[in-house]
Amino acid sequence: MTAKKKAVNFTDAFKELEEITEWFDSEENLDLDKGLKQFERGLELAGALKKKLGEVENKVEEIKKKFDA
Amino acid sequence: MEPTVFSVSDYLDLVNDTLKMIPSTQTLVEGEVSDFRIAQQKWVSFDLKDEKEQAVLKCFMTTWQLKVQIESGMRVQVKGFPKIYERFGTFKMNVQEVAPVGEGALQRAYVLLKKKLEDEGLFDVSRKRPLMRFPEKIGIITSRDAAAFGDFVRILNNRWGGVKVDHAHVHVQGRMAVKEIVEAFEYFNSLSSDEQPDALVLTRGGGGLEDLHAFNDESVARAIYASKIPVVCAVGHERDESLADFVADVRASTPSNAAELIVPSRTDVAYELETMARHMEERIRDSLSRRGHIVERATNLVSFVLERQKERFKFVYERFEIATADWIPQIRSELEGLGRVLRQVDPKRVLARGYSIVTVDGAVLTDSSKLEVGAGIGVQLASGSFEAEVKRLNGKGQQKLV
Repeated sequence: MTAKKKAVNFTDAFKELEEITEWFDSEENLDLDKGLKQFERGLELAGALKKKLGEVENKVEEIKKKFDA
Repeated sequence: MEPTVFSVSDYLDLVNDTLKMIPSTQTLVEGEVSDFRIAQQKWVSFDLKDEKEQAVLKCFMTTWQLKVQIESGMRVQVKGFPKIYERFGTFKMNVQEVAPVGEGALQRAYVLLKKKLEDEGLFDVSRKRPLMRFPEKIGIITSRDAAAFGDFVRILNNRWGGVKVDHAHVHVQGRMAVKEIVEAFEYFNSLSSDEQPDALVLTRGGGGLEDLHAFNDESVARAIYASKIPVVCAVGHERDESLADFVADVRASTPSNAAELIVPSRTDVAYELETMARHMEERIRDSLSRRGHIVERATNLVSFVLERQKERFKFVYERFEIATADWIPQIRSELEGLGRVLRQVDPKRVLARGYSIVTVDGAVLTDSSKLEVGAGIGVQLASGSFEAEVKRLNGKGQQKLV
């Protein structure tokens, strides 16, 4: 559970990145300070997500339980 | 040998015991259904007939046992236990299982069940749930031997990574298929929400109606309907349809297509990430350059204003110079005249001629009546000064001894 929390949750991170991107669009006059902060966070997220994209393996496991009772 | 006398009920018991000697679990009776009825939504009765011979087998079962939709005229195989009902003296087959036979009957049963489920709302578009875009865990229900399984995993690996795939191995055809598939759905749905997969995939390769029976089975359809986890169903090829497809939240045309629907492609997502990052960067650059323009414009404006002020000052100054050029020498000569007058009345010039100024307590003395004998006075000469004491005042006081 803790290990799962530590890992980047792709869905959450992607959503945050989308929100940041939308924020950039919604601001008519960008607050530069906030903009740079958001940009930094956005790049951080994009980097982490890109790294996750590098994961090649899917872990396939057959369930031990037998369904033919 | 004396004949044995039985009461009716004992005799019927004997007959029923004898009927039990028929290997019923290993026996199927095939015939055509006629006079199919359902009473009180519970009791199913029909006659099973041969087409050629005049032979009728009365059949009885409950609606729970009836797993397929049948109707009069359909060719079916029934499995059950023959019995004489004492109360009415009627011979009936207590049917445990009934299955349509032949493509025609299967097709008909399929159409009937499809209509029933559709009427019940199992196919409603409004209940279909969207899939998570980036699932972390997937449950797949299929046979480990099926090509469908290999296809799915291959495409999954091509497109995306880091997903945990829990595989429930079940038969996808044959007697056990329905039961195993239903149990697999129950298993996944019974997991705690932490352990539940984000989506379930039910898949197998293509086949005829008979091969696909499990995917057209009512209990499988209901298991999909009851699943709390969204279900992707992929059966066979594009043209194959199954009831499981209609109930599923998402219908995939093939096992490979199921993988395409369940995970995004790395390439697409990488492109999307790049686009978003680029977009943010562009917006920042835009904002910076807009600010740059504003500063530049402001600078230009300020220097323009300054330049104008300078011009104005120069102009005014020049005009001043022209206007005043005449009166400066005039003022100068006037000043020189005044200076001369002032110089003439300068007390120092008077002193130079031998006069001196007498002061008492810093004030110039012009009247001796203000003085007393013995008072101190200051005397200013043209060059230097001294202090003195008054000895005689207007001829009075100490006489000078000569």
